[in-house]
Amino acid sequence: MPNATASVGPTRDATGSVDTVPAMNQTLAWLVWAVCMAALALTIRNPLYLALIALATWLVHIALYQRSSLGQSWRGLVKLGALVWLIAIPLNALMIHQGNIVLFRLPAHWPLIGGPITLEAVIHGAVNGLALWEVLAIFAAFNMAVDASQLLRMVPPFLYQAGVVASIALTFMPQMLLSAREIREAQRLRGHKFRSWRDLLPLFVPLLTTALEHAIQLAESMESRGFGGELTGMSAQASNRLKGRMALSLLLMLVGLFARSYWRNSAWLGLALLGIGVLLLVSVFAAYGHRVQRSHYRRAAWQTRDNWIALPALLALVITLGVAAFDRMALNYYPYPPYALTPAFDPWLGLVLTALALPGLAALYEGPPVTAEVTP
Amino acid sequence: MITLEHVTYAYPEAPEPILRDLSLRIDDGEFVLLVGASGSGKSTLLRCLNGLVPHFYGGALSGVVRVQGQDPVQAQPRAMSAHVGFVFQDPEAQFVMDTVEAELAFAMENHALPEATMRKRVEEVLDQLGIAHLRARRISSLSGGEKQRVAIASVLTLEPHVLVLDEPTSQLDPQSAEDVLTTLQKLNVDLGLTVVLSEHRLERVVQYADRIIYLPGHGEPLTDGTPQDVLRQIPLAPPLVQLGKALGWDPLPFTIKEARQQARSLSLPERAPSTPDSSATPHDSTPDIVVRGLWHAYDGHPALRGIDLTIARGELVALMGRNGSGKTTLLKHLVGLLQPQRGSVLVRGLDTRQVPLEQLVGLVGYVPQNPNALLFADTVAQELAFTRRNHGLPEQDVAELLETLGIGEQAERYPRDLSVGERQRVALAAILAADPQIILMDEPTRGVDYTQKEALTRFLQAERDRGRTVLLSTHDVELAAACVDRVIILGDGEIVVDGPTRQVMSQSMVFSSQVNKLLRDERYLTVADVLGQAL
Repeated sequence: MPNATASVGPTRDATGSVDTVPAMNQTLAWLVWAVCMAALALTIRNPLYLALIALATWLVHIALYQRSSLGQSWRGLVKLGALVWLIAIPLNALMIHQGNIVLFRLPAHWPLIGGPITLEAVIHGAVNGLALWEVLAIFAAFNMAVDASQLLRMVPPFLYQAGVVASIALTFMPQMLLSAREIREAQRLRGHKFRSWRDLLPLFVPLLTTALEHAIQLAESMESRGFGGELTGMSAQASNRLKGRMALSLLLMLVGLFARSYWRNSAWLGLALLGIGVLLLVSVFAAYGHRVQRSHYRRAAWQTRDNWIALPALLALVITLGVAAFDRMALNYYPYPPYALTPAFDPWLGLVLTALALPGLAALYEGPPVTAEVTP
Repeated sequence: MITLEHVTYAYPEAPEPILRDLSLRIDDGEFVLLVGASGSGKSTLLRCLNGLVPHFYGGALSGVVRVQGQDPVQAQPRAMSAHVGFVFQDPEAQFVMDTVEAELAFAMENHALPEATMRKRVEEVLDQLGIAHLRARRISSLSGGEKQRVAIASVLTLEPHVLVLDEPTSQLDPQSAEDVLTTLQKLNVDLGLTVVLSEHRLERVVQYADRIIYLPGHGEPLTDGTPQDVLRQIPLAPPLVQLGKALGWDPLPFTIKEARQQARSLSLPERAPSTPDSSATPHDSTPDIVVRGLWHAYDGHPALRGIDLTIARGELVALMGRNGSGKTTLLKHLVGLLQPQRGSVLVRGLDTRQVPLEQLVGLVGYVPQNPNALLFADTVAQELAFTRRNHGLPEQDVAELLETLGIGEQAERYPRDLSVGERQRVALAAILAADPQIILMDEPTRGVDYTQKEALTRFLQAERDRGRTVLLSTHDVELAAACVDRVIILGDGEIVVDGPTRQVMSQSMVFSSQVNKLLRDERYLTVADVLGQAL
């Protein structure tokens, strides 16, 4: 019986990539991991702590790269991150002219970039760029770990349609790239050469129309299978009331923001208005969500292995934020005088951030899915 | 039950209705085949059954449509999905989720079915369609036939009474197509599911149908009845039926087995001891294409393994084999799009590794599988002019070429508005406008009806007689039987068989025409072969 073994573990297809997807519960665990990691990377500026986060992300990358069928595409995002990092360094160095260690000077009359170029600015640019790079790498690792369609199932009902649109957009990209190649080949064989912008037309028009036709076919297929869910009936009156509530909530939020910015003395009033507005908006969304009736196939239970993915990141975030609440400078790093060029390092915080490597190590220990069964 | 009463429908901004005053009735449990020339409105009629027409396309619909007591126009496709399952032509374009199981659950989730019900139905449908082993697979890793079976499964989970399929096998190789069709027949017989299916290649499907509805197009009234009745009246017929009609057989045979009984009365001349095959001799023995020890691998996975092949000038050759057997990869080597990783490819003495692509494309015309990859201009005539300009050729009247391909009237139309079959021929014309010496075609008969196929056959033979070398990769056994001199069958990147069409077909079980399967004699591949000889 071929189906007796098929659902046990993922299998590899002929091209060596894995053609099955991770379980649902893993998706939520990885989502927690990604959000916490990204929050850490965005709040911490100390290069030593950032390096620990980078190490943890890198471990996840090497563990998951082989498993993901789109590993190669997502690795492209990491390369893009490297480019961002390389751009951030000269950008900061050219714009910020503070610091004692002057590398060289640009003529002072040059607007913006004129003045001393300092080692401190170079280092600060590198640290800021590193944080951005890490966020992209975390996003890439998250996408290697989970599956777009699994993610789609976690979208709350009122955002469901938007979620589907987003997930289709994601799957559309690889298809677009494929048809772009097909079109370029076909036109080249027809003697098409690229000389001026007008020569883009024979490539662009088929690409656009193919994508549109594809989108229409997909939309037809979704509509024919009841996409959009069962809408429970709603009277015109009820619908108008809901719209009115939404307008009111947005207005409250706007006034709240305004109040907070302009009446500095009574910031609490602005905050309160903002809070009421947000609550009202959530209630409107919930009402819309109730109208869409959907159910979920296979809601999986949280398992021990999911703890290993989500908990270290969650704990690290809580502890780090706690430390930051007591000591603002603990996570920050300013290479400019009067601060020291060498970053501070708290071994306890370092230990907490080292624990972020656990998910990557766990995934590496599990190994590639095919050999998972033979691991003792 | 499905009823249509006086249905007329026109697409928005169309000068005239595509369906005019159409009335028909389909009873529960029938297997109905919808046939008609390409562009006759088959897809439109099918889309009326679940409300995609007019809800998705707009336009004006009049008359009454009832499906299982529901009015699709009022109920909208979303609500109709519980009654009508709809499967589309392109296996690639209809999936929403990544995995088979998730795809199967998609429709049920939309209908908010309880989890326990969903689990049960997924299991049932997986077993009904024999795809339980695919449940955890990524859809992108499935073959075309598997994808179509998953597409059928994904609509069956809602337990509809009617299954509507718009040319579901047009992109599949013969074996995958048969897998899909036998699945449909099983569903029809076992579950009493009403099946409404449109298809061009009648030889694949006519044996399963209880009834045929023929849509002539241009608003003319339809022909409706048992396959026996309808096939006697309409111009479209698979080879066995053509033979039966010509020889006055009654009933008309739909399967080889049925035909065999009738063929006993057929007296054919005794087989001559050995007839040399004259058709396989090319006009010229100068080698046009020489392939030696060609290897090619994608990401370390061999697609071609040591191909040796010589094609002489003026040969008309068919390249056949399963999906994924290496046909397209080989064609791409012959035009220089891919370069040999090992071995060599010489085209008219030019080594494809040494001459630039620009020089080769002046010599070799390549018509891709998907015509949409080529078409971009505002009119058909402009498409042809574009190719000539690219090759630095002077402007030329293209009316004759278009006429030969049966698209003369379409010269000033927007290519994308044409039917699939017409687009295919526009793409062909766009390549041939540069008058290449060697013509390569990838699956030229997708979505093409019998009349158009005959025109293509005549055209290809005329090109060969002009001394052009033609190589076509195709699943279409009947096309190959009707026009090519030589058949090459690829299997897993290797040449398995290479020989004169008559010899190859009479010795193959799969790659053989209906007439040849019936008579198993290399003198008879087509209906014309038999009629020319029958006493």
